[in-house]
Amino acid sequence: MREKVIKILEDIRADIDFNHLTQKLIDDEMLDSFDIISIVGELNEAFDVDISVDELLPENFNTPDAMVELITKLQQE
Amino acid sequence: MTFVSAVFGVFFIGISILYFCVKREYRWIVLLFGSYFFYWMSSKSLTVVLLFMTIVTFAVGKIIDARNQKSAAYLKEHGELQSGERKAYKNNCKKINTRILILGILLDLSILLFLKYFNFFSDNINELLGWFKIPAGVPTLGLLVPIGLSFYTLQAIAYMTDVYRGKYRADRNFFQFMLFMSYFPQIVQGPIARHDHLAKQLYEGHDFDYQRCTFGLQLALWGLIKKLVIADRLAVPVNMIFNNYGNYSGLVVLLAAFGYGLQVYADFSGGMDLVRGLSQILGIELQLNFKQPYFAKSIEEFWRRWHITLGAWMKDYVFYPLSLSKISGSIGKKTRKIFGNNIGKKIPSFIAMFIVYFLVGFWHGPEWKYIAYGIWNGIFIMSGILLEEFYSNTKKKLGIQEERYSWKAFQTFRTIVLCSVGRFFSRADNLLAAFLMIASTLKGFSNIAFLVDRTLINLGLDTADWVVLCIMLLIMLGVDTAHEKGIKIRQAIAGQGIVFRWLIYYAAIFAVIIFGMYGSGYDSASFIYQQF
Repeated sequence: MREKVIKILEDIRADIDFNHLTQKLIDDEMLDSFDIISIVGELNEAFDVDISVDELLPENFNTPDAMVELITKLQQE
Repeated sequence: MTFVSAVFGVFFIGISILYFCVKREYRWIVLLFGSYFFYWMSSKSLTVVLLFMTIVTFAVGKIIDARNQKSAAYLKEHGELQSGERKAYKNNCKKINTRILILGILLDLSILLFLKYFNFFSDNINELLGWFKIPAGVPTLGLLVPIGLSFYTLQAIAYMTDVYRGKYRADRNFFQFMLFMSYFPQIVQGPIARHDHLAKQLYEGHDFDYQRCTFGLQLALWGLIKKLVIADRLAVPVNMIFNNYGNYSGLVVLLAAFGYGLQVYADFSGGMDLVRGLSQILGIELQLNFKQPYFAKSIEEFWRRWHITLGAWMKDYVFYPLSLSKISGSIGKKTRKIFGNNIGKKIPSFIAMFIVYFLVGFWHGPEWKYIAYGIWNGIFIMSGILLEEFYSNTKKKLGIQEERYSWKAFQTFRTIVLCSVGRFFSRADNLLAAFLMIASTLKGFSNIAFLVDRTLINLGLDTADWVVLCIMLLIMLGVDTAHEKGIKIRQAIAGQGIVFRWLIYYAAIFAVIIFGMYGSGYDSASFIYQQF
């Protein structure tokens, strides 16, 4: 799942090396709100989940692992 | 009954005494009784609209919540289900819940659309038919809009949607929910409350607290000053120019729009200070609706500081649902391919943003000028985002240092000018008048003779009034500057000696009594946003 998430992220922001992050994606403003909206759309489609407005929190999108965790949680619900 | 009236003062004192005298667990009943009494005094038989919306919203919330609980219990009981089966079950439940939610929203929204917008639609349809020489077919109805309808409809939609999203459980007590929907300080013009912020505060009951009471009174008094001394005084020259715009041109017309912006700010934020202050006396903290908007450095920031609860509502219940929808996702995919990631990713959000600002404008009133007002703001926000890189490169080329005060002052000035021009749309009699006024500002723009001839005096305020107005505007600027710097004025006053404290209190009370605009010709009773 992680690879798939990384692939989606790279398609949207090719300029960021998501495998070797030294900063947090949201807290350190590496991604903007338009990126997040695109990412959520792609993740929803790729993993058949429904990321809601209430889940649009920095901690859910700060790292690829946080996104994987969010998707796993939504799939298990 | 309106907030700025002696009757309301007596009513509020009575409610407050009763509130603190009865047992804690019954205090919400006092508020409910007071809220319905207040609403009945203001809207008479139209109270039935509020009651109907309350019943619909409560019922929809209850049904969705019960279904959410039932499906969660079912899934817990049937842990053996395969992931595909669980998903199918969940999707089925969600589909039905979505239908119930849409039905609830349509029921609530249809009341607003019918009472507030029916004549707008009928006029426009008839106009359109007229173009094709077809006689008017849709009647115009003499409809009355109940006070606060635009505000509590949004509150109801937010509640049902939040329950649907599982953000919180539905209210269990119908009568308490009646209070949430009708709480008298905020029903007239907001702030647009969220159930998870307000409901518990309303239901739990609060004891009397002397310091909270004095802080609340101070805030309410400051709200009255903004409303009666500043807004109602500014209204005189502003109305004079807007109502006779053919007689004026150049800078004075632009200043009228700027003045109207300040008038609305003093009126609306004053109203908010008043109701927040009164609520604080009862121990109930209403949401902040303004954060020094005139310090904004862009229109986008202005809207984050102005009517915050409406902006937040639009973000949570229109912008994100649209941006995160499947259609938006597929549009984004296509636009990223066509225009590249940088521009393409923004297009779905721009579509959602355009809809949001269209709705913000239309929410203000059933007129094209309000739609233009919303779109005016939306266009500048979108162009700011779209041209961000261009602006950034230009700034680099020109050697502009963004941290310099001069640049920040320019940004603030630019925002104020753009917002002021936008005010032509919201205040002018109609869309055509707004365009004519904007065009007339360019005629003799550099002529500043009006500052020294009798133009200002002929706008309805005498010299003393202008002096009072200027001093009060400076005080308002000072208060906003202090807030911007994080200074807590009421705490600072509380830390002063008794003489100084009471000097300020008396000055504030006398400012309202002596400098407030009363009497015939001044409609001090109503707030501008009350009509929206």
